[in-house]
Amino acid sequence: MVTDTDLVRHLSEAQVSVELQTEEMTLNIGPQHPSTHGVLRLVARVSGERCFDVKPVIGYMHRGYEKLSEVRTYPQITALINRIDWVSGYANEIPFIVAAEKLMDVEVPERAQYIRVILTEMARVSSHLVFMASYPLELGAATPLFFALRDRERVLDLIEGVTGGRFHPNFNRIGGVKPNAGSGPTTKKTPQDLPAGFLGETNDAMNVVLDTCEEIEDLVAGNEIFRARTKGIGVLPAEVGAAFGVSGPNLRASGVKFDLRKVEDYLPYDKFDFDVVVGENGDCWDRWWVRLEEIRESVKIIQQAIDGIPPSGPLQAKVPKVIKVPKGETYVRAENPKGEMGYYIVSDGGPGPYRLKIRSASFSNISMLSWILEGVLVPDIIAIMGSLDFVLGDVDR
Amino acid sequence: MTSSPSDTEATVHPLQEFADSAAETVGGEAEIQFDTIKLRVSADKWVDALTTARDDLDLVFFSWLSAIDWANDVEAGDPLKEEIEERIELLCTVSDLTEGRRVTFSTDLPTKKPSVDSIVEVYVGANWHERETAEMFGITFEGHPDPGPLYLPESFLGNPLKKSFPLLSREVKPWPGSVDVEAMPEKPSTENPEA
Repeated sequence: MVTDTDLVRHLSEAQVSVELQTEEMTLNIGPQHPSTHGVLRLVARVSGERCFDVKPVIGYMHRGYEKLSEVRTYPQITALINRIDWVSGYANEIPFIVAAEKLMDVEVPERAQYIRVILTEMARVSSHLVFMASYPLELGAATPLFFALRDRERVLDLIEGVTGGRFHPNFNRIGGVKPNAGSGPTTKKTPQDLPAGFLGETNDAMNVVLDTCEEIEDLVAGNEIFRARTKGIGVLPAEVGAAFGVSGPNLRASGVKFDLRKVEDYLPYDKFDFDVVVGENGDCWDRWWVRLEEIRESVKIIQQAIDGIPPSGPLQAKVPKVIKVPKGETYVRAENPKGEMGYYIVSDGGPGPYRLKIRSASFSNISMLSWILEGVLVPDIIAIMGSLDFVLGDVDR
Repeated sequence: MTSSPSDTEATVHPLQEFADSAAETVGGEAEIQFDTIKLRVSADKWVDALTTARDDLDLVFFSWLSAIDWANDVEAGDPLKEEIEERIELLCTVSDLTEGRRVTFSTDLPTKKPSVDSIVEVYVGANWHERETAEMFGITFEGHPDPGPLYLPESFLGNPLKKSFPLLSREVKPWPGSVDVEAMPEKPSTENPEA
């Protein structure tokens, strides 16, 4: 028969053994994991529910674009750099093309500039819509995915209508944008720039996107679970973010009112009225909220550009048939959906660059993972990584 | 909007004043090329210069760090048109977060056994950038807290972004794209080129 004393002893032993069973273990996440948006591997030391010494392992998708660019001509390189951040392929081309134009001293026609602005902002809308779809999904809310991806598909269809490519438009040429299929020196067709009805349809699509933003906000922002999982989680102070080179919405969520569209002159953003959205606390919630607001700001820019675009005009400046970029060096950076993307071109006057340094946003954005994931709960790894909105093609280049 | 070095001599570039004051504060030579300020410093002043940039010039945002291999013999790509002094140029761009001012710091390192002090203590974001530059150009960053390859596997030999490193796919089969940039033939050839 079990006596009371035995029972107490058993219980106390059980208690002791439970306490003793906490041991550290090494947790490996990835390289194939849905929350890593590509092939990112994390190695973490896990003690109980918390993780320490997180070490990101990258390079699974390193394609060596900087070396490949050295054996290609400028027009060939745009096809490569579409594939850096494939969620917003069009936006990748802009800083590279503008840098080459700067070296060649080419003035781009106004209509082409407006088309670039419209398509760049559409790329931003589609990229942020992917975030709006995937981030709540990672935290267990599947419904926003359907709303966001439906509209993103509509935006991509419109981009495809102009450029011929959903993900990899390869639409910019030095001196302007690509004239549409069917025109050119060998055919007698009149050059047709934008597909008929494109501007009206884009305007409609943007109104739908605004409605969807409302719907997503209703669905997600009031959700108790989503708020609990994101508010106060993964706080990034502004000065830490700046020292790590974190840029774009991730830095603005920490309260830094800095947007390259306002300070650099790579596209005529000074003609448009839009706000730079900033967060307050720099937590996951703010990073989500800043992107939602940025969709609305981008829609504002697109609709102003549709109203203000010159009704006709050339799409191409006069450039030589064989592009040779004069000797010189320059760095041009742009506000991409993921953050600061820039190209440092070193030209020797040849048909291709002597050296091309690609500064991509996600690379710097996730270089601070070890810092921000120190001591967080294991489920918060997913919440924090998801909120940074990175793409592995943009990390590995 | 755009400017070339010849323009800057005739009219003063809007960034000239900032470039001159930055050069004076840091102790280097500033040059403006196509709206990009490049500030040359000597390699032994590399860490000091960037510390000054962060503390006195308010350039708190770390943008990127990389290098250029200036070489006369190249295995991949086009060689330089003029003979130059062979060296490795280390570049680091930092920016402020208010007006968008940015400075690209530059220093020259010898091609053989290039080595420089790490700036991770100054800009923590340089960590991965220095690791990438180290494996791609063979530069040693003294005092780096976590050296080792970043992208490349441990067993990888060579430094891919050095001009002496061949691009194997091009060695096996020359790129047909090079035909595109050659001068147009005078008469259209009836022969099938490289069938």
